[in-house]
Amino acid sequence: MSSAVITVQDLRKSYRYASRRGGLLGAIGGAFSPDYKLIDAVDGISFEIAAGERVAIIGPNGAGKSTTLKMLSGILEPTSGDARVFGLVPWRERKALAYRIGVVFGQRSQLWGELPARDSFALLASIYDQRGAAFEQRLKDLIERFELAPLMGQPVQRLSLGQRMRCEITASLLHAPSLLFLDEPTIGLDITAKAAIRDFITENAREEGQTVVLTSHDTRDIELVCERVIVINQGRIVVDQPTDQLRRRFLAHKLVTLHAPSRRVEIALPGVMRRASEPHLDVFEIDTRKVRVEQVIATALEGGGIEDITIEDPPMEEVVREIYAVAHD
Amino acid sequence: MVRTSLVANYAHGAAAAVRASFADRTNFILQSLSMVVNNGFMLVLWFMFFAGFRSVGGWKLADMALLIGIIMSIVGVAGIVFGGYRDMAASILSGEIDALLTQPRSVLARLLSRDSYPSAWGDLGTAIVILMAFAGLGWRDLPWLAAGWLSGLVVYIAAAVTFASLAFWISGARSLARDMTEFVILVSTYPGSIYSGASKLIAYTLLPAGFVVLTPVRLLRHPSLGTLAVVIAAAMIYAAIAAGVFHLGLKRYRRGATPVMGV
Amino acid sequence: MRYMPSLTIEATPYGFGGLRSALAAVRLGADGAMAGWPVLLGRAVFYLLLMIVLTALWDKVIAERLPGTLVAALPAGGLALYIGVTEWIGLSVPAIHLRLEDDIRSGAVETHLLRPKAYLVQRVAESLGAMLVRLAVTGAAALAMLAASGRAWPPLPALAALLVLGPLGATIGLLLFTIAGLSAFWVRRTVPAFLILQKLLFLLGGLFAPVTLYPAWLTRLAEASPFAAHMFWPASLTVDSTAAEMADALLAQLVWIALLCGLAALIWRAGLRKVLRGDL
Repeated sequence: MSSAVITVQDLRKSYRYASRRGGLLGAIGGAFSPDYKLIDAVDGISFEIAAGERVAIIGPNGAGKSTTLKMLSGILEPTSGDARVFGLVPWRERKALAYRIGVVFGQRSQLWGELPARDSFALLASIYDQRGAAFEQRLKDLIERFELAPLMGQPVQRLSLGQRMRCEITASLLHAPSLLFLDEPTIGLDITAKAAIRDFITENAREEGQTVVLTSHDTRDIELVCERVIVINQGRIVVDQPTDQLRRRFLAHKLVTLHAPSRRVEIALPGVMRRASEPHLDVFEIDTRKVRVEQVIATALEGGGIEDITIEDPPMEEVVREIYAVAHD
Repeated sequence: MVRTSLVANYAHGAAAAVRASFADRTNFILQSLSMVVNNGFMLVLWFMFFAGFRSVGGWKLADMALLIGIIMSIVGVAGIVFGGYRDMAASILSGEIDALLTQPRSVLARLLSRDSYPSAWGDLGTAIVILMAFAGLGWRDLPWLAAGWLSGLVVYIAAAVTFASLAFWISGARSLARDMTEFVILVSTYPGSIYSGASKLIAYTLLPAGFVVLTPVRLLRHPSLGTLAVVIAAAMIYAAIAAGVFHLGLKRYRRGATPVMGV
Repeated sequence: MRYMPSLTIEATPYGFGGLRSALAAVRLGADGAMAGWPVLLGRAVFYLLLMIVLTALWDKVIAERLPGTLVAALPAGGLALYIGVTEWIGLSVPAIHLRLEDDIRSGAVETHLLRPKAYLVQRVAESLGAMLVRLAVTGAAALAMLAASGRAWPPLPALAALLVLGPLGATIGLLLFTIAGLSAFWVRRTVPAFLILQKLLFLLGGLFAPVTLYPAWLTRLAEASPFAAHMFWPASLTVDSTAAEMADALLAQLVWIALLCGLAALIWRAGLRKVLRGDL
């Protein structure tokens, strides 16, 4: 395990919930004799991540992705099992580890909304003991790479969500961490902003030889940023393989929804399957290995009468279910 | 790499919070001025009260002014420099400390420095005027004032942190912590002579107004090494309790046992 | 009258339908208050704490009996009962001004205008429901505290009169805060109006001290104000009360309720006109 940055062995985390009873009496009773429910959020996972790898941990909501990330970044203690990050036990050596990792939470900001990003960067630099000419140069490089110069003077709360996320990621890179954790970095962003963030992460990681671990429930994040995918569901690893393989087997589908009030749309092409049909609305699943999306659309448009078209990836839950079914065959 | 000291780091964080509170200038002026008016009115009521009754169990107007000046300046400085104490329970319950846990710093210090309130400047301003004009203090009182005031500040923030730390255990702790802190202020704004029996016990334990303002006032009116020792010991004990409870709670949080929204 | 479509909705006579929906709103408010029982409990604890501090203050003043001070003007039995009533009423009034501010600032008030029932009546009725629950819970805490303290009880007629004058006094408070809340039509933030009102309640409402202790001109001013009808009149029943005085207090309260309702309606219409002009 020479080059392994992260080693995880049989890591487990279970939460205990007090299930609540309704009403005043129930609440008072519950305070004395709560009914507990045990939930295994992470149920014995093991893997290794080598230096410079870009890995996605994906799975449906509540699968245990965030919990795993929190254990690896030192926020949460596991119930049992072992993990090392740079040889450190994250939850015991939190502060020592903190200097070497960067963490971005897609849903939480570490920037002051009322102040320009510059001020937050200065504060974070002091928190991570960054100063002097080397730091100034690094900040300059990051601002240039992420094209932040025009944004630096504005209060963060006036930036768009995508611009803000660029600043968030920059903030987590100020102390030059060699490992970056990203928890749902593109959540809530529009398509253009998502693409920009993906480029941003990939480019930076390549340039600095950085190891990246991200969680997401958007399949596109994985495809574009990561070379390897770990799929977890209900706290267990379902699949751990290179993105290429996974893409070929499971991420080669698109859902096309056509709104045609006056007729039922028929598309007779290989690799096109009707998923649902309602008055005014037809949904097709397209296997992009057999047919191109534009071909399908062109065929559909030939018949006329189409008012609206939506093209989407299948929801994560579906992909995982499919992977699960194959893995257990 | 040279490690920045805790104090320098704290100052940096608190300065950012203060700058953020200045960001909306109109709001800042409005809030701090209305606090001045608010406090001025309370002072007028106490003037009227003492004009009518002259004394409450030996406490005169100047003693009351001293007490109000101390508690107002404590609330003022706390709100400016340690403003994160005011809604710390909410920060805990919403899981905001996750990000702080990934930083190589004391989580408690980061939490305390993350907020600053415009109205607190109004408190501090009024307090300084009250202390200089009505509290009957002389230059020789300054060292005692500094000692008593500092101790009061520590006890006040320690109590607030302890109440907020209940959020690690109880999901409804947000309003509870806020109310308890308000109660400490309430008990701190009346003449110390009125407390006896159970109310005195509460004022010197659960709602430590006794140590926030009453012992500092006694230290100024009847300076003695004994009272000084009590003042210093109180600050140390309350600070230790707060640090202990917070860290026990943080441990619990990191085991995943805290009822946080959206784990 | 000029033709104003939305205002005609407001001007529709409510009849029994309006009364029924207002009563439903009272119930809704009461249910809401009961569902938030920890808050009710917290308020009762706050009341007890406040009473401990304030009664200790006044007991101390009275025990000292400094000659030449106002102590002579204080009632023989102390001020515990007086303070108990003012705080009971004061703590039972819901923060309706914040609700109104929210609705006006967020523009939610416009969607309410689409409904066939008067928005303001519905909101006040809802708060009235919550207020009644608060009066009951805090009142129970007050009686329990009085029993535990071993102080003398007020005469039975005064206690009975309180059952009427207390809720009426609280209603006056609710209307005062309603008017403070309607200021949001013009100043967006109700905080300034709230702070001014709070100060007036302290001084003229008798929350700080019985207004009869003030200089004669201030006493007269206070007694003629709605703030006294809110707290001072009901609270002074516990001190000394003839049937005639009770009747006078009741009359003063009813007159103020009528006047404040009218004033609130006028301000509401002016605010509504502002909304309809689109310059909110």
